[in-house]
Amino acid sequence: MKHLMSSVAALALAAGFAHAQTPDVPDNLEKLSNFQSTGTKEFTVIEQKGEYADGIKKNLERIKVPDGFKIGLYAIVPDARHMAVGPQGIVTFVGTRKDKVWAVTDRNKDRIADEVKDFAPSLTFSIPNGPCFSKDGFLYIAEQNRVLLFPAAEFFYESPDVAAFNLVKQGELVPSEHESFNHTARVCRIGPDGKAYISLGQPFNVAPAESLDEFKKWGIGGIIRINTDGTGREVYTYGVRNSVGHDFHPETGELWFTDNQVDGMGDDIPPGEINRQTAAGQNFGHPWYGGGSIRTKEYESEEPPADVVMPVAEMEAHAADLGMSFYTGSMFPERYKNAIFSAQHGSWNRTTPVGARVMVTFVDQEGKATSEPFAEGWMDENGEYLGRPVDVAQLRDGSLIVSDDLAGAVYRIWYEGN
Amino acid sequence: MRRLAIITMGGVILAHGLASHALAQTPVGEPKAGRQKAGMCRTCHGIEGRARIPIAPHIGGENAAYLAHQLTAFRDGTRVHEMMSVVAKGLDDQAIADLSAWYAGQQVAASLPPGKEEAMAPEACISCHGAGGLATIEDAPHLAGENAIYIDTQLKAFRSGKRKHPVMSEIAVGLSDAEIRAVANWYAGTRIEIEPVK
Repeated sequence: MKHLMSSVAALALAAGFAHAQTPDVPDNLEKLSNFQSTGTKEFTVIEQKGEYADGIKKNLERIKVPDGFKIGLYAIVPDARHMAVGPQGIVTFVGTRKDKVWAVTDRNKDRIADEVKDFAPSLTFSIPNGPCFSKDGFLYIAEQNRVLLFPAAEFFYESPDVAAFNLVKQGELVPSEHESFNHTARVCRIGPDGKAYISLGQPFNVAPAESLDEFKKWGIGGIIRINTDGTGREVYTYGVRNSVGHDFHPETGELWFTDNQVDGMGDDIPPGEINRQTAAGQNFGHPWYGGGSIRTKEYESEEPPADVVMPVAEMEAHAADLGMSFYTGSMFPERYKNAIFSAQHGSWNRTTPVGARVMVTFVDQEGKATSEPFAEGWMDENGEYLGRPVDVAQLRDGSLIVSDDLAGAVYRIWYEGN
Repeated sequence: MRRLAIITMGGVILAHGLASHALAQTPVGEPKAGRQKAGMCRTCHGIEGRARIPIAPHIGGENAAYLAHQLTAFRDGTRVHEMMSVVAKGLDDQAIADLSAWYAGQQVAASLPPGKEEAMAPEACISCHGAGGLATIEDAPHLAGENAIYIDTQLKAFRSGKRKHPVMSEIAVGLSDAEIRAVANWYAGTRIEIEPVK
């Protein structure tokens, strides 16, 4: 009963806070107790020092970054996936492809986290890969088949019972018969229009013809957007295979996204993609194209839609481009302003593995994109991964943090100059 | 519960029949050759069979017949997975036998975390998967230390018919989402140890 009482109190507090901040919350507010609850009130706290941390620091000595840059261990975070840095700079939330979201706090502001514990341990999460923040401090978490919303999460995360609301109810993100585990690392970002943009990977290697109409309706194999009061859902992006990273250009506000391409066509094709979307409803070519202009075998005899948009940058085949962020900080040299930092998770069945690095992509005045490695060395001489980068985010001081779900860590990259 | 137990017993006999039938047709696996071929498995399953990514199960110390059965099912299209279907398409019977022999040869142990007792294990599962998550029959996988979402996904696939098995399809069809998650959480809470390979 005590548990319930405290939930209700937190809810009332949060709801009050939410109303004070903005009216844009769904009207179907539900009490935390209505969600499936584990009854757990104890935090899982992750040890930040010791042999494991020392091992990761040793691996980081192998990582090459450009002159003047440094890389260090920011936090031990098991299964670390996509990240959302709190707008107040208090806490960074890190999603996983399991059942936890981690709250990472750097209390003493020495740019190394000193506390990592699970967020909202009384809630049962399912693949909470994609956290994102609105500017006014609402945390959204895109799961396998639900999107949760936590008002003022930066202030309430210290309690195990955090007020939680549905942005999209369980079972309403995709039809349950299309739920899957693979290609279900959803990513969420709030756009310049204030809407939540959520990627929905399609679960196949190549989407089958009989599913295309239904997928199109739901935005599976695409990116959807939805108002933060839960209304106005629409499919914004079509023809995507499995996008696991997107961000908005700081000046144009256009949506850019990575997309993972078809397997089983050979080691060197098809290329990975970074895409740029200039209007709502554009089609990026899956399943007719397997990546870039390479046609899939399954659809080779079909005429692809005439309006397919080709990628701005073709990336190394099978390197698995995941999270991406435009750089808007002032710490790095001028050439990095508005450049894209993106993570390559690394290939899974290529004869010689590729990837496992952080890339930087520069976009010139004509919109032409050029990519180069920015941080690399997470693969040893035997082709074994020492780490697999997943997402890149920017801290308020202009340094970058990079998540790694193999090592279970978040790194920080900063610029010191020469 | 009685009904479940009877189904389970029948399933054991049926599963045994299937497995020995499969074995009769497949060549004898060579663990050393399997290790060579496991280069294509290790990024996700680890060289010793301890999973490196959440969507992949631990396969170290699994029964060889179970592994061969699953790889064959992926190759034939009777079990479908976006990655495994691609990989299995390129395997002949000898490769399947070799890989199964390699992973089956790894040393595996399971244990319960403090505060958990065998009596708390889900009753419908223990006769084949054990209370601690080590399989007791040939045609069942170990579940110890598996990611909860992996088990959840498989049970839902059995329930919906996407994945089929004479015993599991029957059991899963009677489970609610919450019951599935509770079972998944039990096995996810057990611990698995697979001896590292140098």
